[in-house]
Amino acid sequence: MFTDFLYVCRDKGLMVSMTEWITFMEALDKGLARSSFDGLYNLGRMILVKTESDYDKYDLAFMDYFKHLKPTNEVPDHIMKFLDKGEMDTTGLNADMYRYDTKRDFEETKRMFRERISEQKDEHNGGNYWIGTSGGSAFGHNGRNVGGIRVGGQSGMQSAFQVMGARAFSDFRHDKTLDIRQFQVAFRKLRQFSTKLDVERSELDLDGTINSTCNNGGYLKLEFEKPRKNSVKLLLLFDSGGTMMPFSEMCNDLFQAVHKANHFKDVKTYYFHNCIYSKVYTDPECEYGNWLDLEELFKKTDKDYKVIIIGDAQMAPEELYDVNGNYRGPNDGRSGYEWNVLLRSKFKKAIWLNPRFHGKLNELAWMEAENALAQLYNMYPLTIDGLKKGISKLMAPR
Amino acid sequence: MENNKFTGSKEYVASPELMAAVDVARALEKPLLIKGEPGTGKTMLAEAISTSLEKKLFIWNIKSTTKAQDGLYVYDTIQRLYDSQFGVEGVDDISRYIKLGKLGESFKEDEQVILLIDEIDKADLEFPNDLLWELDRMEFYIHETKQTVKAKVRPIVIITSNAEKELPDAFLRRCIFHYIKFPEKAEMQEIVNVHFENLDDNLLQHAMDTFYWIRSIKEVRKKPSTSELIDWLQALIIGGIEPDTIREKLPYLGVLIKKDEDIDVVNKRRVY
Repeated sequence: MFTDFLYVCRDKGLMVSMTEWITFMEALDKGLARSSFDGLYNLGRMILVKTESDYDKYDLAFMDYFKHLKPTNEVPDHIMKFLDKGEMDTTGLNADMYRYDTKRDFEETKRMFRERISEQKDEHNGGNYWIGTSGGSAFGHNGRNVGGIRVGGQSGMQSAFQVMGARAFSDFRHDKTLDIRQFQVAFRKLRQFSTKLDVERSELDLDGTINSTCNNGGYLKLEFEKPRKNSVKLLLLFDSGGTMMPFSEMCNDLFQAVHKANHFKDVKTYYFHNCIYSKVYTDPECEYGNWLDLEELFKKTDKDYKVIIIGDAQMAPEELYDVNGNYRGPNDGRSGYEWNVLLRSKFKKAIWLNPRFHGKLNELAWMEAENALAQLYNMYPLTIDGLKKGISKLMAPR
Repeated sequence: MENNKFTGSKEYVASPELMAAVDVARALEKPLLIKGEPGTGKTMLAEAISTSLEKKLFIWNIKSTTKAQDGLYVYDTIQRLYDSQFGVEGVDDISRYIKLGKLGESFKEDEQVILLIDEIDKADLEFPNDLLWELDRMEFYIHETKQTVKAKVRPIVIITSNAEKELPDAFLRRCIFHYIKFPEKAEMQEIVNVHFENLDDNLLQHAMDTFYWIRSIKEVRKKPSTSELIDWLQALIIGGIEPDTIREKLPYLGVLIKKDEDIDVVNKRRVY
């Protein structure tokens, strides 16, 4: 009936599948939304959304779809509860029992409604005065008073709107910049993918061997399995230049996450200032002399290291392109860009995470360096989504 | 079935959304997937449902080594080999060596039961996918004996996850999902009251203020959870701590916070 809602959801990035949609329809059919707006909101959320990070998208879609509805905000909870009983069977009621008072104007009705709310303590159905279902009073639902106020039943959307309006789950969105735990979870993907690596079955599978031998009637039958060790090796390069200061805490979190992950075969970490030139630094202060030649690094690091560069790629074009562009150390005959090209050609798997990522839209002059480096590396924003995309890029077979 | 709705239990305070989710999962006969911060009472939920509906509870605890097959049945080949060498009677009867797992056991029950698959995300990535058919159809096939085990009554399946790993989409599509938010102060008070009788109001207020203050410190890596708050309150009561000094002295902080670095952070922020 409201198939449009499915497409609103998908528009907002909530990828609802057919199975889920049909389940939702089935649930509505069974009356599980209990004819209330809150019920509908909750039912849809528990069936259509499968992770708390999508709650926000659902809220947006729901708000968008039902935006033409106006929230009623005057009905206290205890009265809503009397009314929250769905569409009732009214066949037993006689319409003539009720005296209609259709002449009352809306302002008058509203005034009486407020009075009633303050008086009423109990449930009243089928009467003429109180707020209740199936009655002739001006208030309630399933009743017979044409000029009355509908309370409950299909209405009563206030608290759902409050929940949505507050966007209480926007913190869980994946595109929000991340903290250490989220980093750690994201880095786990680097392990998960690694189990799928195509390696030979080289380790003796003890359990498998015992099982097969027993199944084989006691004759020895050897079984092998893939080594379970993670073969991922990481090379981290952090920009610790001045423009990275606002992100130092985030970089620290990322660093912690990688080191706590301890499931990598090897992790090497170096630092650079603004741009990678002929040397990388061994400490984040980037002090003169505490460095390693980039070519030395190439020598001691084999090519299947996966490289993650964290930096904002903010520099003047000459810092990147000039052979004397490094104002803090030696250039050793190559421009920063050329050093980056060298690095890129050594390591096939390299991504760049940028906390200030602007994307391709921006062609402004001071973006020149970022654009150039984004074309050289696969550049992603430093967010969960960015890190995930980057990691799947690192794990992709080619 | 409709008339005995889940309403929470004496030991467990459930939010209206959570109760609705349980009812929907039952009505649609789909597994209910519960996610939430550690210590928000995911595991206790199943126990509460079991008491509230008076149904038997089967708990299948998942570990990193658990395989889907373990929940269905295990064919004890080694016992059989062992028995055969000593000529134990009945070795030729394979069914003697088939041992049902938790899922299998719950299928065998005559009345509806509750099956809790606890911390499903601990297992291998593919684990949930391996259970798709069994949870959809509520049946499985034992190859060794060529038998099909089919649930007499569909169990209510509750699955919990700590979100350590992401679960496969195919699996998620079949579940009803509920995320347990960390309780707000008022809700927390209710939860605490369920656990303690006649708790001193003053003590509770000070302890709660301190608890939520610690949770609000961004640098704290492992935020204390409900169960830690309850342990801490217990410690405060036993220790006979003056309520007014809680925030200042932070007694028994180790009960609340488990990481050294977090304790340092909190101590640094402490107000004298």
